[in-house]
Amino acid sequence: MKALLQTGGLLLLAMASLACVGPEDKPSNVHDLRVLGVSTEQPELIASTCERTPEALDELAAEVTYRALLVDPAGEGRPIQYTLWACADPDDRTCENEADRALLAEGTTVAGELTLPIRPGAARGAEDRLLLERVLEEDAYQGLGGIRMPLVLRVVAGGEEVYAQKLMVFWCPVVEGMKANEQPVLPGLRVDDVPWPEGEPLELSGPGPFVVTADDVSDREENYVVPGLRLQAVNLKEAWEIAWYSTLGEFSLSETGGADFGGQQGRHRVEWEPAEGATAQDVTFWAVVRDGRGGSSWLVRRARWSP
Amino acid sequence: MSLNLNARSALAAASLLLAPPALAQAPQAEAPPAEAAPPAQAQPVMTKPPELLQQVEAPYPPEALAEGITASVRLIITIAADGSVADVLPTEPAGHGFDEAAIAAVRQFRFSPAEVDGVPAPVQVEYVYHFTLNAPQPEAPGPEQVQAAPKATLTGQLISRGSRSRVAGATVRCGDDPEAPEALSDADGRFTLEVPPGECAVRVVASGFQLYQTKEQLQANETTEVNFFLAPTAGALETVVRSERPKKEVVRRTITRQEAQKTPGTFGDPIRVIQTLPGVARAPFISGQLLVRGSNPGQTATMMDGVSIPLLFHLLGGPSVVNAEFIDQLDFFPGGYGSQYGRAVGGIVEVGTRKGAADTLHGSVKVDLLDAGFFLEAPVTDGISVAAAARRSYVDTLLPLVLPKDEGSTLSVVPRYWDYQVRVDFGRKRDARSEEEAQSQAGGARSTGYIMAFGSDDQLRLVSSGPETERDLSVDTHTNFHRLKGDWTYRKGALTSVFTPYVGYDGTSFKFGAAKQDGSGYTVGAREVLGLELSSALTVRTGLDLVYEHQSFDVEFPAPENFEYVAFPGAESVGELLVEHIGLGSFDGALFVEADLKVGKFTFTPGVRGNFQRAGDARNVALDPRLWVRFEATERTQLKGSLGLYSQPAETFRFITLPYGNPELAYQRAFQSSLGVEHRLTDVFNVDVTGFFNRRFNNIAAPGEIISLPGGGVVQLPYSNQGIGRALGLEVMVKKQRASATDKWSGWVSYTFSQSLDGRTGPAPENSGNDFGGGFGGSGDTTYGLSPFDQTHILTLVSNYVLGGGWELGGRFRYTTGRPTTPLNHTFDLYQVDRNRFNGTYGPYASARTAGFHQLDVRLDKSWQFQSWTLGLYLDVQNLYNAENVEFVFNDYRQRREYEVPGIPILPVVGVKGSF
Repeated sequence: MKALLQTGGLLLLAMASLACVGPEDKPSNVHDLRVLGVSTEQPELIASTCERTPEALDELAAEVTYRALLVDPAGEGRPIQYTLWACADPDDRTCENEADRALLAEGTTVAGELTLPIRPGAARGAEDRLLLERVLEEDAYQGLGGIRMPLVLRVVAGGEEVYAQKLMVFWCPVVEGMKANEQPVLPGLRVDDVPWPEGEPLELSGPGPFVVTADDVSDREENYVVPGLRLQAVNLKEAWEIAWYSTLGEFSLSETGGADFGGQQGRHRVEWEPAEGATAQDVTFWAVVRDGRGGSSWLVRRARWSP
Repeated sequence: MSLNLNARSALAAASLLLAPPALAQAPQAEAPPAEAAPPAQAQPVMTKPPELLQQVEAPYPPEALAEGITASVRLIITIAADGSVADVLPTEPAGHGFDEAAIAAVRQFRFSPAEVDGVPAPVQVEYVYHFTLNAPQPEAPGPEQVQAAPKATLTGQLISRGSRSRVAGATVRCGDDPEAPEALSDADGRFTLEVPPGECAVRVVASGFQLYQTKEQLQANETTEVNFFLAPTAGALETVVRSERPKKEVVRRTITRQEAQKTPGTFGDPIRVIQTLPGVARAPFISGQLLVRGSNPGQTATMMDGVSIPLLFHLLGGPSVVNAEFIDQLDFFPGGYGSQYGRAVGGIVEVGTRKGAADTLHGSVKVDLLDAGFFLEAPVTDGISVAAAARRSYVDTLLPLVLPKDEGSTLSVVPRYWDYQVRVDFGRKRDARSEEEAQSQAGGARSTGYIMAFGSDDQLRLVSSGPETERDLSVDTHTNFHRLKGDWTYRKGALTSVFTPYVGYDGTSFKFGAAKQDGSGYTVGAREVLGLELSSALTVRTGLDLVYEHQSFDVEFPAPENFEYVAFPGAESVGELLVEHIGLGSFDGALFVEADLKVGKFTFTPGVRGNFQRAGDARNVALDPRLWVRFEATERTQLKGSLGLYSQPAETFRFITLPYGNPELAYQRAFQSSLGVEHRLTDVFNVDVTGFFNRRFNNIAAPGEIISLPGGGVVQLPYSNQGIGRALGLEVMVKKQRASATDKWSGWVSYTFSQSLDGRTGPAPENSGNDFGGGFGGSGDTTYGLSPFDQTHILTLVSNYVLGGGWELGGRFRYTTGRPTTPLNHTFDLYQVDRNRFNGTYGPYASARTAGFHQLDVRLDKSWQFQSWTLGLYLDVQNLYNAENVEFVFNDYRQRREYEVPGIPILPVVGVKGSF
């Protein structure tokens, strides 16, 4: 505890100093090739039994839809090469180990939403071994967090290269009350308390800041059960996080929501300010929501901003 | 009128100048002989003063005689261990041939050997040689005249101007007549002088004070009562004993209270002064962390008179809980310490506290930017004195003035702290001038002791709320501790026993949203050290060091990830509320024995310390053999070496049940060795060069590995004994002390060359997350390498100069090599979608460093002495030339570029202190 407190003291000092230092590249400002979000539909697969039966393996081998939100504002529609692997070790961020990886898809696309039907639960690595089994073997927690298979998307455009790793979760009912996760979906966004429709760009003018909020999501945050490390049932409640992005200016916070270890949840309220000296232009906004257990989706909004 | 020549030494005054330092400086802590006492409690005590056996009269310089000039030559005499005069230096030239005459005479003096802490030792004394000229003697009166001569009495008290200390051992006389009666002031500074009535040209001569002269009209058969305020020569109080305590360790560095309070850049914080010594790496920002010879924070034990201080700094990294006013001195052992010490694999800091004044009430009040405090000391009755200090912050009342105020949010930060120290001494007779005298007064056996209490209380409340805040946030912490200790020292002949029992209470309270923790701990411990001098060549010490702690915690918190369940990356879910009561007792005991064996010029100190710990179901045993060797090459040069094993138990709370503790933790261990040489260049210049090599093993590392539970399931141990480390280096210390009250300059140069490695055995565990401040992030399985705090070169220059007129100027310059970093080697982005974070790609581990650190701190003190009190004002400026030093390096969110976190800019602090 003492060391923790002492480290905490140093962190406080460091954080105080961070206020004086500002990197130019802000997370919420999208200006080059990025992967802003990845989701799978279903967000997780749950077998009906924890026995290794053909039926259970079939349930885990079901097809899911893989979606990746690719943005490339400066690319002017250039082609983006992509490769999607499944592999066994979450620490292998690039699925480099060929013996423990399976190619799920590859091709060329452009910025926007990349959609791929995949069957990661059926993927096999070297010696035709089921990747799911290799993931379990690599897992120090012996599957008590679910079998978390890394899906690694590599996208390349021009000289830019991004590896994006998402964990696909495969469950079985280890403890009573477990059920499959539902995809988190944001009900809507508001700007200065005015609803922000999906279809038509909003007219914004002036230097801001503009207050952007998400409609209340508390009734959509699920209560769920996971197995504890001592095989007990642990009850949890989702606390969604939203990551905020725009092609101009920046948000006051790049991420909102979530809960700290005292259970204090954040508000989904940010302030957007256009860049100083910018000219009138169309601006794209993204709000990517994560439920903290593998589920994710996003909203895209547009605005016509003038100084 | 013919002149009657008389050159005479002020023998009476000199004999008192040779008195124990307690008479010539601020009251000292009761100091038992080093044989049995915890060494750090002992200021060197002159147990037997030198006595002048052979005095030689100096010839009056003819020129001065012809011109009728008188003078007082103030000398520093170095008396060798055999009583011969080794050196004589005038502190300020008197000219006219007086200096040469006095020095030549004093060189022929012969003294009885002085003893310091019971051992014959060289000492320095201040000595005043008075050259006076007398008026011709009047014709001798008849016997009837003598009988009829009326008398007048002058009585009073001698008081130090500015501090109200009583001046003992001063001579008071009327005029220069050597045959005139004179009086000596007693321990209370009181004197009574019987002289013929009429005008008395009063002359008061006292060590460390300017010659006091005044005129008093004395009436026949009447008593005139006066108070004379004597002006200190420089600095209110100055010791005259220069001898060193016999060292029981290879390296012990001592910081006096004066140094602790006035070292620039430390805010007068005693613990931070330790950071200026060799072997201590620079801690980030203005943190007071002690990083000793490659050890990590928390591996150096800090004790107050032998009792561990549970929490060293207020508000984590604020001022230390050790009030500089209450300390007598600080002893710092960077390694190689004796078997009496344990429970540390790094160094030891021993804070020796201050014994209350024996003469009268003294005190001080200090105010600075953060807090205000007072110190009081006074005798209660003969043999009993009390000292007390307290301090309280008021930054909580100032913060609201500077915190931002927005309509949509409220922010409240309330940091508050206070601390106190009280010490009551008993058993020392004020009229006993030496240990032997005190023992003889007590019939051969003697008991002294004291009772001390100290404690601290910290509160920090932070509330942030409102619709425009990111979230409603509430943090409320409260920690406090109290310790009560006794100290009983018994001496009879060659036997010395020091018994130190203590009890303590620790409280912690923590609230963060729905998470709460209330903890309380009770401590009871005792330490007994027996010393027996079997012969002049053999001394044996043995003892016990026992402590029992019971800690209990009431906790209520949302189920924490990775303790209760496997967290999904980036998970921010809210866990169900868990309520637990945890209680645990632990015992740690040690039996130690060591001996000093003198063989010719060698002194061997073999020792062993056996440690036993019981915490919950854990049973740990560790045996620590140690050896220390010293070789007296010459009177001024000593070679020294040490090697040994050291053990440190894990804190009690780490033994709580899985998954929040690890009940199977073992002792942390270290092997320490050193080899060095110490040389006294002159009486005021010392140089010490010491090389060291340490290995740490079985150290606590967090987190530990993941293990399977017998009944199913897994758990990640929060701690394990996988920590290892290694350090080697060379330390150089050159110190210049003030030779006398008139010597204006003091300071030291401290240099350390070192390399320290740190890490763990085995692969990096899951969730190690150790990528802050240069950990093992980004280098795959690397778990052992340069310590994040490694600094190849650490140079510190500290200097203090007395400008005169109450002005003092001090400076501290530091240069250290930058800390290691692992450079980024970005070729592509690595995005963790679930966590919404980027991973970095790195070059070789710790293959780069931040730029070197350099900083100059300056402190200016000004004091005004009034009749009975002194006002002091100081300005302490950190980073005077505003160097932009790099404290940390962090990366941008995509791990593409590195950014440097700067250290503190120029920071002036002003403080005021009044003392009486």
